[in-house]
Amino acid sequence: MSDRATRAALAAAVGLVLADSSVVVLALPDIYRELDVSVAAVTWVLVSFNLVLALAAVPAAFASAVVGPARLTVAGLVVFALASLACGLADSIGVLLVARCAQALGGAAAICAALELLPSVVGSERRAATAWAAAGAAGAALGPGIGGLMTELISWQSIFLAQVPATLALALALLPGAAREGRTRSPLDQRSLRPHLAANVALALVSAALAAALFLVVLLLIEGWRLTPIAAAAAVTVMPICALLAAAPARRVRSVAARAAAGVILIAGGLAALGLLPRAEVALTFPPQALIGAGLALTLSALTEAALAGRSPQALHGGWTIAARHAGVVAGLLVLTPVFTADLETERERAQLAGTAALLDASIPPGAQLELANRIAERIEQEGDKVPILGPAFEPLPADPAERAATAALRTEIEDEVDRAATHAFSGSFLIAAAFALAALIPIALARRRIAL
Amino acid sequence: MSGGEGSGRLLVAGAAVLAVALVAAYLAFGGGAYEPTPVVDPCAPREWRSPDGIEESAQQFALSALDGAACELGVSRETLAPALATEGSRAEFAAELGISDAELETAVRAGLLRGIDDAAEAGAISPLVAEGLGAVASRLPVDESIAVISDAGEFLAGAEGAIGDVGDLLDDAAGLLP
Repeated sequence: MSDRATRAALAAAVGLVLADSSVVVLALPDIYRELDVSVAAVTWVLVSFNLVLALAAVPAAFASAVVGPARLTVAGLVVFALASLACGLADSIGVLLVARCAQALGGAAAICAALELLPSVVGSERRAATAWAAAGAAGAALGPGIGGLMTELISWQSIFLAQVPATLALALALLPGAAREGRTRSPLDQRSLRPHLAANVALALVSAALAAALFLVVLLLIEGWRLTPIAAAAAVTVMPICALLAAAPARRVRSVAARAAAGVILIAGGLAALGLLPRAEVALTFPPQALIGAGLALTLSALTEAALAGRSPQALHGGWTIAARHAGVVAGLLVLTPVFTADLETERERAQLAGTAALLDASIPPGAQLELANRIAERIEQEGDKVPILGPAFEPLPADPAERAATAALRTEIEDEVDRAATHAFSGSFLIAAAFALAALIPIALARRRIAL
Repeated sequence: MSGGEGSGRLLVAGAAVLAVALVAAYLAFGGGAYEPTPVVDPCAPREWRSPDGIEESAQQFALSALDGAACELGVSRETLAPALATEGSRAEFAAELGISDAELETAVRAGLLRGIDDAAEAGAISPLVAEGLGAVASRLPVDESIAVISDAGEFLAGAEGAIGDVGDLLDDAAGLLP
């Protein structure tokens, strides 16, 4: 197998595993309905994977030093494939969560060991770190879109089942290298084990913000504005497209600190803009997504490079970056989920009152007014905790032209009220996430003063 | 090194300009200024929109009555309206508010009286009819009082519905008059 093919296989493995941290975001509503679980439980489909990945990354790097990176990469990919199969066949939330944890264990082994293998095929540790970070960023950014597409076109299970042959193919491609690998246990220098604290803290903070970017944008589109998963998947492609477009020009800037800082500023700006959306309009999420995508490309690669620069073994320090990133994702999800859930409930109640006020004040015949009130109440009841789709409550529109126009105007007013309330419900969380991103400037600035970042 | 630093500074400055410009643009277009349509104080007097037609008068009467009852209970009209829809929602509402049946009855009667007063003030009914209706309303059992407000489909729609209730009230009032 040529170096080029090995490099492609390793990058694909890293991208595939890290895509799994976000790939199920758009599938969560389907999993929630099909497995009949609570919203809190279904969030753990995301949290469990990221948590285990964070906890297993550094031990996986130690294991790489003991069993050999090539062997561990292949073993990790096989475990990941089997666990993906179990995820796809899971018929209960318990089985799904256990399988997700197993996926993360296999994934942690594969991506940390892959980093140890990359320098020999790309020529240098710096280029290896760049390729590894870029593959991870691409996977994380593309995950929600691909997951949404597959959920809509096939099913949520297909997301996991499709990974089985893909991962096994990668394992097979890397198997010859693993077979040739000698069984050498490399001693670890205790001084080299310490992680680059500033870069990893910054990575954790940025990842917490990015979790919000990916998770909350998707939730806003699907739960807030009631877009279908496929429409939401299409809408969130702006982020990975801009990440890919920004990746190459970003590498031309030599200063790692400048790239990291610029990326963090773009992410914070994008998140703050999402928290200040003037209207419930999908197109208005595009400019913030573009900033976040470009920021993601700049900052993740820069911080990962900084965390790995001059440190050995690469797998271990890569493990620290994975631990930091996914601990950040978990912290972001755990901090922001209750915030936006509470805000959503508050705004739902306020919108309900405002909608009732609009209805009571509407210039439509009283009989129709009260019939409409009952139909709206029924729709709200049917939708439970979700943001209700009220359009069908207004159908059929009255035959009388004046009444029809007044009812249509009322429908627009009430739907607008609901949309604005749903949009506003996410504002606080996006602004907190922007603060997470800005906080990453502190370790970046500190590191720049003390050592070369 | 200086070249690298220069391009780095340029990158950071460019990022900051883009981020600030986008946030400023969204703020300028009303982002962050969200306030839900305000819910009006039910105790404040409300002008009748169109007190001329019977349907409009009936509607305004129901709304005034809701205002009055809501004011008495210290809640909004928008909160009270759905609460009066069914017996179950009434019970849930009373439990949430921690009020007794007697308190709810008093509030609903107060609402009816406010509706009658507002109707008379707007010229929708004569002072004489208002006086009669007031006498009836102050004696109506709570279920019937609530029906006049909450069963507005009938209350407002015509002779067989809530307008019928108003008609019944008028008949009752007429029966009470010498």
